[in-house]
Order: sequence, then C-alpha cells, then structure tokens
Amino acid sequence: MKRFICRRLITGILTIFIVFVLNFLLIQAAPGSPVTTLMGKENHDPEIRAMLEEKYGFDKPVIVQLGRQLEMLFHGDLGDSIIQNRPVGEMIAEKLGPTIVLGLTSALLALIIGTLLGVMAARKEGKPVDMVVSGTQYVFSAMPQFWLGLMLIILFSSNLDIFPSYGMTDARADHTGINYVIDVLYHMCLPAITLTLTLIPQYFKIAKSSVLQVTNEEFIQTFKAAGMPVKQIFRKYILRNAILPTVTIFGISMAYLLTGVMLIEIVFAWPGMGRLMMTAINQRDYPTLIGINLIMAISVAVVMLLVDIIYAKLDPRIRYE
Amino acid sequence: MKNNRLTIAAQAVKSNRQLMAGCIGVLALLVLMIAAPLISTEDPTIYGPDVLNGLGENGHILGTNHLGQDVYSMIIYGVRTSVKVAVISAMISGILGVLIGGAAGFLGGKVDVIISEIINVFMMLPTFFLILLIVALFGNSLTNVMIVIGITTWPGNAKLMRAQALSLRERVFVKSAEAMGETKRQILFKYIIPNGIFPVIANTTLGMANAILTEAGLSFLGLGDPSIISWGQMIYAGKQYITSAWWICAFSGIAIIIAVLIFYMLGDGLNKVMDPRYNKRRA
Repeated sequence: MKRFICRRLITGILTIFIVFVLNFLLIQAAPGSPVTTLMGKENHDPEIRAMLEEKYGFDKPVIVQLGRQLEMLFHGDLGDSIIQNRPVGEMIAEKLGPTIVLGLTSALLALIIGTLLGVMAARKEGKPVDMVVSGTQYVFSAMPQFWLGLMLIILFSSNLDIFPSYGMTDARADHTGINYVIDVLYHMCLPAITLTLTLIPQYFKIAKSSVLQVTNEEFIQTFKAAGMPVKQIFRKYILRNAILPTVTIFGISMAYLLTGVMLIEIVFAWPGMGRLMMTAINQRDYPTLIGINLIMAISVAVVMLLVDIIYAKLDPRIRYE
Repeated sequence: MKNNRLTIAAQAVKSNRQLMAGCIGVLALLVLMIAAPLISTEDPTIYGPDVLNGLGENGHILGTNHLGQDVYSMIIYGVRTSVKVAVISAMISGILGVLIGGAAGFLGGKVDVIISEIINVFMMLPTFFLILLIVALFGNSLTNVMIVIGITTWPGNAKLMRAQALSLRERVFVKSAEAMGETKRQILFKYIIPNGIFPVIANTTLGMANAILTEAGLSFLGLGDPSIISWGQMIYAGKQYITSAWWICAFSGIAIIIAVLIFYMLGDGLNKVMDPRYNKRRA
C-alpha cells in the first residue's frame, strides 16, 4: 500500500513538473515576446526594452529563467499578470471559491443522479424505461455543455423568466447572511443544472455497465440458483461491487469537469476562474494563463491521487502492478 | 480472401444496430460534404441584405445571422469543417498512439517504463487547457487546432496499443518470426501493429467525436479559425443574439450533437462487435 501511494505521488509530482516545463517552453517558443506586448506597438526605445528585459529576467539564458521560475513556484509564487500587474496567485485565489462551489455541487449531484439512474436502467435492462433513459443519456453525452447552457437560458430566462441568466448575486440587492446564500443558490440553478445534466452520462454509463457485469458473474448466478431472494442478492452483493468503479470515474472525470465548469462559467457570467481565463485569453495575458493551467493540473493530480488511494482502500483486489 | 473479409465486415455491420446507424450516418456526412453546394440554398460566405431573419423568412429555411448569412447553408458547409477536424486530428492521434504504444509494448524494458510513465502523466493532464494555451499562443488556424488536438490525445490510443502489443509478443507467430531472424522493425510493422490495431480504430472513432466537441469549445472561446465556417463559431457569434435570434445557436448546436452521435455510435458499435464476449452471447 505504501509503495502504491508513493508511486502515484511520484507520477502526480512528475505531471505537475511536466505541465510547468511544457508551459514554460511553449511561451518561449511562441512568436512575439512579452516585452514587446508590455512596451506597446509604437514604442521602440531600446533603453526601456533593456530595462524590462532585466526586470523580468528575459536577458538570461533559458535554463536560468526556468530555474528562477521553478524557484518562484516552489515558494508558491505564480508570477505577476502582465496586464493587471498583480500576483497571479492572488487573482486565482479570489476566483477559486465560486468555481469550486459550482463544480463540486454539480459533480456530486451528477454522481448521485447518474449512479441511481444507471442502477435503475441496469435492473430494467431492455425494457422501455431503460431504452428511454439510455437513449437520453447518449444524446446528453454528445452535447456541447456551453450550448446546453445557452438553450436553458433561452428557455428559462428569456421565455419563462424563472431563473436569472447571469452572475452569482443580484447586483442591485445587497443581501447578507441567509439571504445572500439563497440569492447565490438561486443564481446557481441554471449553471448547476447545465453542468449536472452533461456530467450525468458518464456516471450513468459506468454504473449501468458495472451492475450488468456483476450480475452476470458466476457467484451471483450461484446465489440465484440456490434460491436467494433477488432483492437481497442485489443489495448485498451486486450493488456493493458495482458502486466501486464510479469512484474512479470521479477522479478521471476531474479534468473534464474543470473544462465544463470553465465553459459554463463563461456562458452564465459566473465570477469564477472561467471568466478569469477568458479575459486572459483575450488580453493575451500569458502569466495568468499559465497560472490557471498549473492550478488546474495540480488540482487534477491531487484529486486523482486521493481517488486512487480511496479506491485501493475500498477494493483490496486493486493494487499497482 | 478479400471478398471473404468484406462479407464478414458486412455481417458485423448488420449484426449491430449502433454500428449500422453509425455507418449510415458517416455516409450521410460524406454526401453532405461533397454535395454541399447542391444541398445548400445559398453561398454561406455571402453577407446578404436579410439580417437576423427568422425561420422561413425571405426563403431562409433556418433564418439568417447578424451578418445576413444563411444559417441553413452555413450548417451544411460546417459539416466539412467538423469532419475535417475530426478525421485529421484523430488520425494524428491514432498514428502516434499506435507507433508509440506498439513500440513500448513490443520492445519492453526501459523504453516501456519511460513511455508508460509519459502515458500516465498525459492521462492526468487537463488536455483542454493545454490545447487552449497552445492555440492562444501559436495562432488559431484550423491546421493548428487539428495538430494540437492530435498530439494531445494520443496517450489513450497508446495505452490500448501497448496492451495489445504486450499480449501479442508472447504469441507463437511472433516468436517464430523472431526465430526466423526478422528484425524488430519488421515484426512490429508486419505482425504486432496489424493484429493489434482494432481496439485503437474503435477508440479513434470515439476520438473523432471528442475532436468535434473540442473544436466547438475552442471556437466558443473565440479561438476558432475566423476564416472558415464552423458550428462552434456559429454558436460563439450567435451567443449575443440568443434572446432575439435563438435559431443561430440552436441549430448549429443540434448539428454538433448529430455529428458527435454518429461518431459515438460508430465507435461504440465497433467496440461491441470486436468484443469476443459479444459474439458468444449472441450465439
């Protein structure tokens, strides 16, 4: 077990390191230099250029620059945004909360609903209920998340006028305490529904197929032949064995979840990392983009590591190698 | 021999409804790609005088966008972009995956350890953000988008191919080829890859669907190729008009769903038909 955790930990750290180096090299290889961006189009003063290059360390060899950046990262410093002139870490920290609230709520809802639907569909395999549910899930899995968000806005905001279509709070009202929470929840309805709907299919798929797989195993057939009540077999043996794979999916789908959250945030003007990223793209603010990318990689690595450990604890059969 | 293979393929297609639907869908997409000028009602690149027309107004079946382009014709021409992105990026990803995974599994030893670790690392990477960063940095031409999707998604294919190569290299026909003195490269290309490639093909088909979704996502962030017509960009541009002209977004999104579903069905169908348990259950 210790060896297993160690190996996963090394892979995780390696991933973060590789993301970092990759980001660094990409910026180096990219056409145009950040200094030119900082100086503006009309300014060609070599003195200012030299000064800026020295300030950001661009005059040193690539390897030295990489080392410097690594050292900064080690101290938790993600560098400064070249547009806003603020530490990137600070900017991300401000936006992290809303992203986590939205992402986690949707992921948990999707996990519960998807698994329940999957188990139900597996029990009624081949019946009309299963066909309808499976078919719907198939279509939802092919849906671009941002598009579903836009459609829900058309339906619920502009036509029915039930839910607000943008923001996290009502800008005109100044709520505090419980009213603030209610306001946020109200604004979160549409984005969370969109995200949940598009996340459900993967949990559905894995739950359904693993229930079916366990049902066909020989020991279950033996129980059936021995006359054990079907309900009891299901609750005691099938469900327990079939639930396990959903745990791994939760980890594997982290990257997908983050992508989804970012895109959905842009659709609904949710004040999280997605909007930060969007502005960074539009302004070509590379340090911010790299910072976001790095934070994403780190969070995915951490969650996957945790999930792997939980999984190994839950299922003693699973071991590395 | 060849005839025989064709009949087997035809039987496989007939035996699985998903595969059948996928095949028909791909044929339909091909027809739309080739016959786009005949099927569309207008040239989608022309900015007409009818701005933000509704459904059926002035002969525009699905209305027009804010520049007066015909939405129906844009969707028809958008098939070309989506299929191009899907096929080329999935091909790049498939070829890289087969070569790297095949080499890792067949050669074993240190090569395998290093490549496996790289695959593990890549599986943990939030690929979409890497793609996004590269496209933002190096320019958003369609070629860039296709190449970047290709080179960031190969690890899935490599993993499958590696597993295949690992089991194939223990088989008698590979061992005897080795004994006959064939070089490693010959064995890899003549025996390992042709015999182990089928799961990768099915996975590549699913990769095509994901490539379409990735391209749409990039376009939605304003990182699509502005010089071409793509469904993702139609949604991006139509986003501003969702309250007044919902049809721009709605129909291009439906087009994406249909295209993605076609590739999903093809991939899932192939996976099912090639699964040995599938034939056993049917017999």
